[in-house]
Amino acid sequence: MSANQNGCGSTPSNGCGSAPNPTKPTDQTPAPKELHACMGLNACKGHDRFGTNDCAGMGYCATQQHVCHTLNNCRGQGGCGLYGDAAEQCRPGENDCAFQGSCATPIQAERISTMGANTGKSVWLLARELFEQRMEKAKRNVSPSPYKNGPPQKWLQTLDGGYDSCGNSGDKYCSFGFNDPAANAQEMIDKSRAELKYTLEECHCEKDKD
Amino acid sequence: MLSKFLASQPTEVTPENFSEAMQQAIEIEIATIPVYLFTYYSINRTPDQNHIGQIIKTQLLSKEKKPGVLYTQQEVDTIAKELSAKIMVFANKAGASILSVVIEEMLHMSLSSNVKQALAGKPQLVNKVPPVWPAYLPGHEPSFPINRAKLSFDQLYTFMQIESPNKLLEADKKGSPLPYTTIGQFYGFIEDCIKKYFKGAESYDSRRPQLVPKMGYYAQNDIDTLYYNKEHKPKFENAEDSGDLIHVIDQASALKALNEIVEQGEGHHGPGFKVVGGKDCVDCQRFGEGAYDDKKRSELAHFDKFNQLWCEMQQLDDEFKHYLGDDFDPKTLFINNFETNPNTADYPDIIQKVSNLTNAVSSYLYVMTEACYSAEQNTQYEIFMFGIHKSMMWILGSLCGELPNMNYIGKDGLQYQAAPTFENYVFSASSSPKAQIIDLFNIAASAYPNISYLKDRIYDLPNVPLEGYLAKSEQAILA
Repeated sequence: MSANQNGCGSTPSNGCGSAPNPTKPTDQTPAPKELHACMGLNACKGHDRFGTNDCAGMGYCATQQHVCHTLNNCRGQGGCGLYGDAAEQCRPGENDCAFQGSCATPIQAERISTMGANTGKSVWLLARELFEQRMEKAKRNVSPSPYKNGPPQKWLQTLDGGYDSCGNSGDKYCSFGFNDPAANAQEMIDKSRAELKYTLEECHCEKDKD
Repeated sequence: MLSKFLASQPTEVTPENFSEAMQQAIEIEIATIPVYLFTYYSINRTPDQNHIGQIIKTQLLSKEKKPGVLYTQQEVDTIAKELSAKIMVFANKAGASILSVVIEEMLHMSLSSNVKQALAGKPQLVNKVPPVWPAYLPGHEPSFPINRAKLSFDQLYTFMQIESPNKLLEADKKGSPLPYTTIGQFYGFIEDCIKKYFKGAESYDSRRPQLVPKMGYYAQNDIDTLYYNKEHKPKFENAEDSGDLIHVIDQASALKALNEIVEQGEGHHGPGFKVVGGKDCVDCQRFGEGAYDDKKRSELAHFDKFNQLWCEMQQLDDEFKHYLGDDFDPKTLFINNFETNPNTADYPDIIQKVSNLTNAVSSYLYVMTEACYSAEQNTQYEIFMFGIHKSMMWILGSLCGELPNMNYIGKDGLQYQAAPTFENYVFSASSSPKAQIIDLFNIAASAYPNISYLKDRIYDLPNVPLEGYLAKSEQAILA
């Protein structure tokens, strides 16, 4: 699904800064889907990229896709992790407006934060935890994500259109011949999961720091 | 027109010439940005390891391990894997390290601009890139040439001269009225003036817009300032607490802003060059106490980052030399073949069109930053996020990545890869800079369709006027 179907503007998008260009609704106008940044972060049935998920938290992928920092069209599209400041990176999938949100969606399982309390740790696990907290506030049950650690990069690359992660420092899932990429990713995920509670506490304090 | 403050031979920084002194400081910061960026884009941070491995294997198979003894295939494979991994790590680290400095130089430009804005009025940032290369730091003693050049030992040495915490040798020979032997010392003259004359809060006009902290304008780390070690674990070049913007509202905040610039740059007590035989030499022995600029002591000051890169590149050379002899230069495996100090006007037609667009986009960064000093906070935020960040990462970065794919024959008859020249692009007042960038894009994309994918990003740029008074009524920034 393209970003334009979410009612966030035309191409080229003007994001939050200009007036919308509404078209008259018809019976065929599809109901907009809630925008979310990745697998397992959907609040509603049918709100994943394929529209086939049964309930909250089970979606297979983001309802949209954008390439990276500053290139998203709408609220909630920011994947976070690779760009942006410490406060932004503590809130993956919760950006307030277009062009914010610091990084691309979907969030591959191997992605780490580069600033703030979650530095060096999994972006998806933090996003999922924040999503579960939001659902808890809304008194909603959440089902498991199809992949418990988020969508692996290799799986994303098998989807139509492929998957392009951002940055100039190279592939996150890689080896120079002296490591097993899967073991590296698992180690990072295990550490992130073990420290998630502490990370959330630190993120909460982030906004109060000098 | 560049500042002539130091060329006018002042004897001290006073309230009367403070505005000019701060403008000079801003222009010193701006002068470093194209130099570091040029070298940054000369590095292929993620070369093809398999290709490098094959080249090394081919070379090794023609060498003797010792007289009369060739390397076995297994030895060749092992050595090629080891050496190619070293290239992969160093190339990425060199890029991350230099870019981390570029981000802090941009931060310094804004910190100096904040001080000027609070005490003297609006900073001038547009068309302040040195127009002639090699460039020289105005008033610096001794003067030394600064080139836009690809990564090399000489270029890293020049970087260290720029960031040196200690005076360079031969510094006492000229004796101009306000000589400074380090950039830190020049800031010291400004600090002295602030301490002596600008004590009261009434001297500081905090109503004038400044770029304030905690907005993420110059985030210390991102995916581009990290690299991966041999085991492909991420390593961060900048520390988070090495400094943010500072809102200058009084003497303490003004001094804090200037101190941050010096700490991140030269470091207050860094070891500097090692004098050997009457010459400034690179010291690869160790990095001292002053080498770190953040509270957790995990980030090197600029001088020491470059010192470290110089030493690691030397190690890389030595290791390759051990196996492959003097004739093979490993730097050719990851450094683009850029000419030193190229000019757009000397490029062939197609490259010239792409280079003109690149210069316009890089110049627009300064237009946008300067506009922030006339804008309220939300507009500043929009300009930064939707304009400056987007331009740096997804337009300028893409163009600078595309240019080396084009080759040309230089005046010396040799073939080079095209490089971004980072020259001032002087926008006409007849239309908005954005409209001119769009025109340049259309010309460049017609000549070189590989950049057509940038169209949406360019059309999405904020529409920032060259000067506030040139803005049309109701002109939206995001239009």
